[in-house]
Amino acid sequence: MTTINNHKLTKMLTQINQSFVKEIQQQEILKSLFFLAIIFLAYMATFQPVMAHGEKNLEPYVRMRTIQWYDVQWSTQKFNVNDEVTLTGKFHVAEDWPISVPKPDASFLNVSTPGPVLIRTERYLNGKPFMNSVALQPGGDYDFKIVLKGRLPGRYHIHPFFNLRDAGQVMGPGAWLDIGGDEADFTNNIQTINGEIVDMETYGLGNGIFWHSFWALLATAWLLWWVRRPLFIARYRMLKAGMEDELITPLDKHIAKAILVGVPVLVFAFYTMTVNQYPKAIPLQASLDQILPLSAKVNAGVVDIETLRAEYRVPERAMKLSLNIKNSSDKPIQLGEFATGGIRFINKAVSIPDHNNTESVIATESLSLDNPTPIQPGEQRTILITAGDGLWESEKLDGLINDADSRIGGLVFFYDSEGERYVSSITSAVIPKFN
Amino acid sequence: MSSKLSTQTFHHYIGEKARIARAYDYLVLVLALFLFIGSFHLHFALTVGDWDFWVDWKDRQWWPLVTPLIGITFPAAVQAVMWSNFRLPLGATLCVACLSIGTWIARVFAYHYWNFFPINMVMPSTLLPSALVLDVILMMSNSLTITAIFGGSAFALLFYPSNWPIFGMFHLPIEAGNSQLTIADMFGFQYIRTGMPEYLRIIERGTLRTYGQIATPLSAFCSALLCTLMYTLWWHIGHWFATTRYLKKI
Repeated sequence: MTTINNHKLTKMLTQINQSFVKEIQQQEILKSLFFLAIIFLAYMATFQPVMAHGEKNLEPYVRMRTIQWYDVQWSTQKFNVNDEVTLTGKFHVAEDWPISVPKPDASFLNVSTPGPVLIRTERYLNGKPFMNSVALQPGGDYDFKIVLKGRLPGRYHIHPFFNLRDAGQVMGPGAWLDIGGDEADFTNNIQTINGEIVDMETYGLGNGIFWHSFWALLATAWLLWWVRRPLFIARYRMLKAGMEDELITPLDKHIAKAILVGVPVLVFAFYTMTVNQYPKAIPLQASLDQILPLSAKVNAGVVDIETLRAEYRVPERAMKLSLNIKNSSDKPIQLGEFATGGIRFINKAVSIPDHNNTESVIATESLSLDNPTPIQPGEQRTILITAGDGLWESEKLDGLINDADSRIGGLVFFYDSEGERYVSSITSAVIPKFN
Repeated sequence: MSSKLSTQTFHHYIGEKARIARAYDYLVLVLALFLFIGSFHLHFALTVGDWDFWVDWKDRQWWPLVTPLIGITFPAAVQAVMWSNFRLPLGATLCVACLSIGTWIARVFAYHYWNFFPINMVMPSTLLPSALVLDVILMMSNSLTITAIFGGSAFALLFYPSNWPIFGMFHLPIEAGNSQLTIADMFGFQYIRTGMPEYLRIIERGTLRTYGQIATPLSAFCSALLCTLMYTLWWHIGHWFATTRYLKKI
């Protein structure tokens, strides 16, 4: 009896123990799920569209001393699918091109898009159309125009930028574009030299699917021919038993011979048919476009400027530039803007006609001069300008003092009394001041 | 054990044994399908890469050189296993069929639906005719040497002509921007690739200009020569990879 009672007791205790363990396991699972739900909710709460294109990531001296963008404008920032939009602007290729960056012998004027939400239909450099990469000349001035066509509705942040071979992407100022309409309405037809109209969205797709399907059918038939019979274990045993001859039947050999002859014959027959169908086919084009710079727009000889010293004040987040300026124009001029690395530092004392409608990074009241009086015609003056703003830090340009090539470059914009603009480039080593 | 069986004492599996052996066949085939779709496609994407991704990379010099050279790797390795152990002449066709499935899935879902490129711009090339011929040459010759020389060469030489019916029409000339382009080049210009500037294309680059405009046969024969070597290398890799020596120690 005692044994029986003990057995019952043990059984009961085991059941209690099992249910207890089960309850603990359920609690653990619930805890884990709760934890995962919190992580997921935190992720969803911080969910936001990507707005950056790595423009702050490139080393400051590359952003300051390679492609110096200005006057970038969009013809419109709200349009529909199939509408065309024009992006225009200018850039100066810095004379003081960094030694560690390969010279811009192959550069590609591009647009940062999240995939082809727009298509590029035309592109011009200095008024000349160009389709390939282009060689740029340090010190050269260029203007550009890109014509784009809306393809996918949505709101996108787009920059013009240059892909520089072996160096990376140098971004221009960005803008938000709103594309409305229906993507199903998008059309993109081009004309071949023979006059045939081609729909780029579907051209050759049906033909490609046909040929892939054709060969896939033959391949599937060949695979099924073998897969229909016992495969691995059976064949392995037969092979090891010396029954190799039974594994490949005479019919298999006939089919193999037919494939050996038939497939190459078909391939070359179809190839010949295609060659005859498209006798005017040409190789892919791989040329480099050659476009000379414009006559000087920056450093055009009217306002000469020499940088005597550049100091970056770390606590104040301010760049102090000592500039020797000679005004060779016939009117008094004032320094209105200093632009570098995508930031525009504006002298609020000078009235500046705005040539940009992009969302440039602008420090509006950040440029000050130790002597703000206009520089008279023929006068040569040394002035100290201070470009001070937190943007040096937030745009990650203050990393310049930690660069291997601690030199600054940028554009200085002068305006005369009639609103005429003169642009000069500056370059100098930068000395950091830590206190 | 089975190697000691003679034809006189050999009995085919019947009944339950046969059913289990057949189930094992299907199990291996399904696993092989997913394995090769994933692994061969990944290998191909990382090595052939842009030459197969984009219509404006499919040139007459590098595309017919690189694609068969990389495309013959897995087929050679799988043939080594399938033929040596089972006398199944389907290794190349199976691998390339899996590659085709993988590339089509990637092009439709990753390139078209995810990144908005038209599918015709990112249509993959086909290696299926080459693979079929490689399989039957191995079957007919039962020889690594002959398959490497003739099969490897055929694999490379058939590649360009078998793909020209698909891509030839993309080489029609157009006039754009005061220059002559192909339709394929126009795809590269129009459909914006932020990270793929035109100068990155490795096309039409080479020093062998003496033979003028017959670059394709030269590339194809160069590829054929290299494929014979690549085939042999990957046949041995297949053998090495399929070893059971560790299982015997368990």
